[in-house]
Amino acid sequence: MIVNRVTLLGNKDHGKSTLIGSLLMETGSISEQRIRDAKKTSKKLGRQFEPGYILDSFEEERLNEMTIDTTRAQVKYRNTGFEFIDVPGHEELMKNMLSGASYADFALLLISAKPDEGITGQTKRHIFVAKMLGIRKLVVAVNKLDAVNYSKERFEEIKNDVGDYLDKIGFKNINISFVPISAYNAENLVKRSNKTGWYKGKSLMDILVEVSKSTKKDVDGELIIQIQGFFDKERKSVFGKVISGSIKRGDRIILLPSGKSTKILKLFESGNEASSARKGSVVTLELDKRIGIDARGLVGVKRKSSCRSGSNIHAMLLTTKRIGGKPSIKMNGVEIDCMKMTVKKMIDVTTGESMASGSIKPLNAGIVEIKLAKDIAMDTFEKNPEIGRFVFYTDRKFSGIGIITE
Amino acid sequence: MIKQDIKLLEERSIYIIREAKTNFKNVAALWSMGKDSTTMLALARKAFHGKVPFPVIHIDNGIDFPETYEFRETLAKKWNLDLIVAKSEIKPEMSGFACCGANKTVALKKVLKDYGFDGLIVSIRRDEHGIRAKERVFSPRNKNFKWNYKNQVAELWGDYSSNDDSDGHVRVHPLLDWNEVDIWEYVRRNKVPTNPLYFSRNGYRYRSLGCLHCTTPVRSDAGNIEKIIKELETTKDEERAGRDQDKEKAYVMEKLRSLGYM
Repeated sequence: MIVNRVTLLGNKDHGKSTLIGSLLMETGSISEQRIRDAKKTSKKLGRQFEPGYILDSFEEERLNEMTIDTTRAQVKYRNTGFEFIDVPGHEELMKNMLSGASYADFALLLISAKPDEGITGQTKRHIFVAKMLGIRKLVVAVNKLDAVNYSKERFEEIKNDVGDYLDKIGFKNINISFVPISAYNAENLVKRSNKTGWYKGKSLMDILVEVSKSTKKDVDGELIIQIQGFFDKERKSVFGKVISGSIKRGDRIILLPSGKSTKILKLFESGNEASSARKGSVVTLELDKRIGIDARGLVGVKRKSSCRSGSNIHAMLLTTKRIGGKPSIKMNGVEIDCMKMTVKKMIDVTTGESMASGSIKPLNAGIVEIKLAKDIAMDTFEKNPEIGRFVFYTDRKFSGIGIITE
Repeated sequence: MIKQDIKLLEERSIYIIREAKTNFKNVAALWSMGKDSTTMLALARKAFHGKVPFPVIHIDNGIDFPETYEFRETLAKKWNLDLIVAKSEIKPEMSGFACCGANKTVALKKVLKDYGFDGLIVSIRRDEHGIRAKERVFSPRNKNFKWNYKNQVAELWGDYSSNDDSDGHVRVHPLLDWNEVDIWEYVRRNKVPTNPLYFSRNGYRYRSLGCLHCTTPVRSDAGNIEKIIKELETTKDEERAGRDQDKEKAYVMEKLRSLGYM
């Protein structure tokens, strides 16, 4: 079965790990032993059992009651498979958060309804991350409703706050649903709760099933092959992955950025000779001529393609740390130095406000123009996400992510 | 346990194994002759059209099951494997933490140093253990084999080759996404050879294989692959229930792994 990957999002302590732990228990997706072990550990620590312990399995995570690094847990419900990606909510752990969330098909955002919690700067930052990761489906669970007497007013208030922020950052074309829950007490997780009589919608799990079904059928799109490297010492065969579209033996493809045209003499899919391959396939291509000394970083397309090559990129950048030192980007499997980077606009992601100039603060975003040391193959993130996004480094250290906007 | 889409898992793993071969100067794989690392070799053969293109290492403490040694010899010949046997001396007083931690890890350190391997393919899966679920696909170790789990490298969108400053080697985990039942489904569909100890004899079978001292069989009547798959789809027991190093006391696995264990 195809498993839907759902990343959790939200401020620290708003209940992400607790929610996944509760869902694992409520849907019977975890062994008795794992629950017994987690209970034993909490007892040893002199604490009340907390479902989040099942996910947070590092000693430090349990002692400090926080998630340090991302983890995953699978749940089967009404014949639909889900893989929940738990991520840390702390600002300083954004690197780990992004590493987990980048794999998601859709997102589940948690916001605590407690009077002193609600939608925070970090909540907004995570919504911004969802926008940058290309997430188009968002389920918002308003958590800890037990702490505010299952108040409808508080639920509506948070709903409005989220809507306001989405408007502000221009996060459109998004399928969004809201559900009031208590992760700790398992209210509205699987069964509808009788404590929220005013709520007429479905339980969280039923919403997730519905959302997973609304995934539009995979429209194949134009051919894009990312080349990983040479298959043989003679450098006449390459291997890579079909990112979109399909390819047949005998097809002629253009390799970007060089623009060289080459014919596919033989095609192998997962190691077996085949006449064609489609989106998702890992392929080996035997070419009619040598293509140069480097294969890695090449992108194969058809003659008519929206992809292009160039060394100038316009992008939205989200930083995880202060930008200083030598910048470079990693795209299509290769790292390229940035010769020049100009900040056109900076965005405070905790408010959604943008300013015309200045430098990008750590953990914030900006619109930038980058001049690269050499040409790369690319498209806009909107059109072809896999070749429209990059990892950003400064002094070869991970410093953020970027998406190509023009 | 969820049975996932096998084709999708196969494609992801082949991609990762090719990334490993492309990104390192000198890569090797660990082979315990168990179902997971043997499946990994079957995937490597697909990725490289019938040939495993790197050496495979068996960390041999001399106390594996006789069936396991026999399986090793047969398959190494059949698949033309470049097999390296790295012997580790077992002392009678050693057990559990000392045996897996000190003994196996010392032997592994030596073989990596002797051959100068900079990449090591290890067939762990997320669903085996809470700690393994926290792993990256490409996971650096420093020269003392330490896993810096409090500050792991970034890994976005399947770009596994993130920069890191580790002065040791990088562990590569091509099977991280697989569940136990997926391995068996793959074994069934692709006729991957398996150690006979996995199948029930007299009401017991080994669900996870370690060495003679620390592995115990579990109650099971599953005498063939189909029955094993059926058993796993409904079981509520942990796969590694028969493996001592997982349960001795809390965080043993975390400590072993931070010291260099698989």
